[in-house]
Amino acid sequence: MKTRNLSTRLASINPVSILLYGLIVWFVIAFLIYPNLNIYGEIFFKDGQFTLEAAEKLLSSERAMRSLYNSFILAFSLIITVNVVGITLVLISEYFEIKGAKILRLGYFTTLIYSGVVLVSGYKFVYGEEGFMTKLLVYLFPSFDATWFHGYWAVLFVMTFACTSNHFLFLSNAIRKIDFQTVEAARNMGASTWYILRRVVLPVLKPTIYALTILTFLTGLAATSAPLILGGKEFQTITPMILTFSRSMTSRDLAALLALILGVATLVLLTIMIRFERKGNFMSVSKVKSELVKQKIRSKFGNIAAHILAYGLFVLYIVPVVLIIIFSFTDAASISTATLNLNSFTLNNYIQVFSSMSAFKPYLVSILYAAAASVIVVALALAASRILHRYKNKWALALEYAMLIPWILPSTLIAVGLIVTFNTPKLIIGNTVLVGTVWMLLIAYVIIHIPFTLRMVKASFFSLDSNLEDAARNLGAKPFYTFRKVLLPIILPSTLAVLALNFNGILADYDVTVFLYHPVYQPLGVVIKNSTDAQALADTKALTLVYSVILMIMSSVTLYFVYGRNSRS
Amino acid sequence: MITFQNVDIKFGEFHAVKNLNLHIREGEFFTFLGPSGCGKTTTLRSLVGFIMPTSGQILLKDADITRLPIEKREIGMVFQSYALFPTMNVYENIAFGLRVKKFSKAEVDQKVKDIARKVDLKDEQLFKKVSELSGGQQQRVAIARALVLQPSILVLDEPLSNLDAKLRVQLRNELKQLQKKFGITTIYVTHDQEEALTLSDRIGVFNHGVLEQVGTPLEVYNQSQTEFVCNFIGDINRIDPGMIENSPLKDVVQPGNIAYIRNEKVSLLPLQGIDTVQLKGKIADREFYGLYSKYVLEIKGGGQLKTIEKESRLFHHEVGDDVDIYLPVCDILQYPMKEGGA
Repeated sequence: MKTRNLSTRLASINPVSILLYGLIVWFVIAFLIYPNLNIYGEIFFKDGQFTLEAAEKLLSSERAMRSLYNSFILAFSLIITVNVVGITLVLISEYFEIKGAKILRLGYFTTLIYSGVVLVSGYKFVYGEEGFMTKLLVYLFPSFDATWFHGYWAVLFVMTFACTSNHFLFLSNAIRKIDFQTVEAARNMGASTWYILRRVVLPVLKPTIYALTILTFLTGLAATSAPLILGGKEFQTITPMILTFSRSMTSRDLAALLALILGVATLVLLTIMIRFERKGNFMSVSKVKSELVKQKIRSKFGNIAAHILAYGLFVLYIVPVVLIIIFSFTDAASISTATLNLNSFTLNNYIQVFSSMSAFKPYLVSILYAAAASVIVVALALAASRILHRYKNKWALALEYAMLIPWILPSTLIAVGLIVTFNTPKLIIGNTVLVGTVWMLLIAYVIIHIPFTLRMVKASFFSLDSNLEDAARNLGAKPFYTFRKVLLPIILPSTLAVLALNFNGILADYDVTVFLYHPVYQPLGVVIKNSTDAQALADTKALTLVYSVILMIMSSVTLYFVYGRNSRS
Repeated sequence: MITFQNVDIKFGEFHAVKNLNLHIREGEFFTFLGPSGCGKTTTLRSLVGFIMPTSGQILLKDADITRLPIEKREIGMVFQSYALFPTMNVYENIAFGLRVKKFSKAEVDQKVKDIARKVDLKDEQLFKKVSELSGGQQQRVAIARALVLQPSILVLDEPLSNLDAKLRVQLRNELKQLQKKFGITTIYVTHDQEEALTLSDRIGVFNHGVLEQVGTPLEVYNQSQTEFVCNFIGDINRIDPGMIENSPLKDVVQPGNIAYIRNEKVSLLPLQGIDTVQLKGKIADREFYGLYSKYVLEIKGGGQLKTIEKESRLFHHEVGDDVDIYLPVCDILQYPMKEGGA
């Protein structure tokens, strides 16, 4: 019987499947496990001997220690400012009755359509020494310091607004799920608006706020573009320092150690976050939940103050976007002097981007990278999800855990791991060197997007009715036919949504790109960052504004198709 | 037609089906009945080929199909959720199996339209999304999809369990009519005794992986062979041992036996021509259901019995009324008391 079983099993093995599974296993070992283990060797072993030289170097480097200190200061500051602004935004748009809330929400949403280096460069363009807003402030208050926008405060200012996107996405969702009957019950017992907010509403949101706090802390700790563009010499944080150290062979161990510290901090914080999530999940016990009804602020003074605050924040959010769009239609002179007059408006910047190959090249490079990486990562996630769906054993579990490794590691650590591992020939990749090739960045993009993609695609797979597959088999379909004709069409919409989000995220990425890009093929993120340098030409700045506007449009379209359209249906 | 010979199915330590021996006849509507986890669906899935028995054989028309691949068994299946492919329309769902088997376009078209007509699906419904169909239409599509390949057996895994009570009754009738129309051997899995009794030619009652009884609905209901079967099917009174001790029942119930009587067999009116045991009691509670009432009877000397009586002008009792109670001796079911049982 056993022999018959074995022969039946062997006969049912598909060689294409074996090849596919083999490829996945190779990719996981070569790029997800090996570089992240190798980094320890790079730090703690020299010529086969254990050494703490890198740690000694770090402790004796004032710059490195200062950057560590700055990163933690920034992270701690951000959790206060981002929570204050983020919670305020969500209350304004979701909880209180504020006139024009729909328009306000659109303004607050702007950080979703431009982020990272695009946002930071946009803020620098608006608030920098030559920026429109700074000039306006100097005009209104002649004693105002035009060089105010740099260092710790500038970084904190920009990152505070940049990091509220998560609050908007997750906290809004949580507040909408509050059972309105609990609010009504509190009111029925005589509680005031503020008392209800403080004692009934906010406690329910606590787990989400904790999780967002940790995410914000991690973002602050691993901040790249904001300290790099706005920090100046006086405020450098870990990631820019890692970048500097990783560029020299003699200090790569230091870069690796700093990245490792970042990784350990991330791991610790994520563990705490998971514990919070487990502890503080408030389940509604309502039999019939009522939808939240917006609360009128009963105090007249409070209501006016809330409206002023809401519209003040709206202006802060919307001004950079509006100015970037307006100035993208002006000539180089206008851009460099931050002045507007009717004669300076032109379409030349756009014409140049779409007619000159050198101007379009960063776009093309980024589009190719984003398209290739997002397709590869989705294909990989589909194949892995199929394995996880079909086989529920320890090997499948190990594969899943291995593929989630990048989720718990900061992208900087992954980038440094790849650099220190693949700068010499390695047998596992056919004795070739990857550092300095165009493939390095593509692989990094794929690695970094695996966890998110896998989680989403796997969720789609596991939400499928298992009877569908059985039904197809019962009707005679082979596994690959079933996958192609039955399962894939069902999960395709969500898979395409993930693909679009990945494409969008990679298009203007800077944090990973800056470590691994090929100098001949500079992607958009790097070009945009370079345009913020003081010595950048006005023409380059003009092109950057066009790049930014197009990126915003692409993000808006993607977000509409992924979230807007779905939520409508 | 179908024979299970000494079939055992184990999942690790869990023994899902224990030494199953069963023969299902050609053209029969056979139901696997039992509570959740009793092994009925596992048995069905082993017949279709989704599960391999740990030991034993499954024969179809005397041929051993135990290890035959699913697609070669020619068994059409209707799933609990119907498992209609949501990205395909009705036509494509029905045509799926034909296309897998590489039938020509013309043949596919003809077969799909033929089967659709037979299950009363209109031509214009063929190009609708499956989500646009009613529950009944979805069931017909699922059946059409299973039957279009002309299988020798149709199996249905709790196809009505997700539906509301009214629709369930309606679809049950449709299902019975379709089975009669096609005359195909049908195996039906359900935990609903009413479905089993109304639909089946024969029923197999499963409990903890063991097939406890096979019989017609009447046999299974009136001559339940095990204590589990009599308890699982219909409403039944377990006769209190104290009541037996203090009444003429002690002359009927064998010592060491446990006794049951179905609610509707307990009568408040004298029964002519059959041997009965007469008890005295009082109406302890009454629930009025319109056509009939359910009574709880307090028996003189201890214990309670439940009964159902049709309401009429002549027959009416209120709580507190003294009544005579008649139990037909032939309807008293007796089973040996298990060790440790009261």
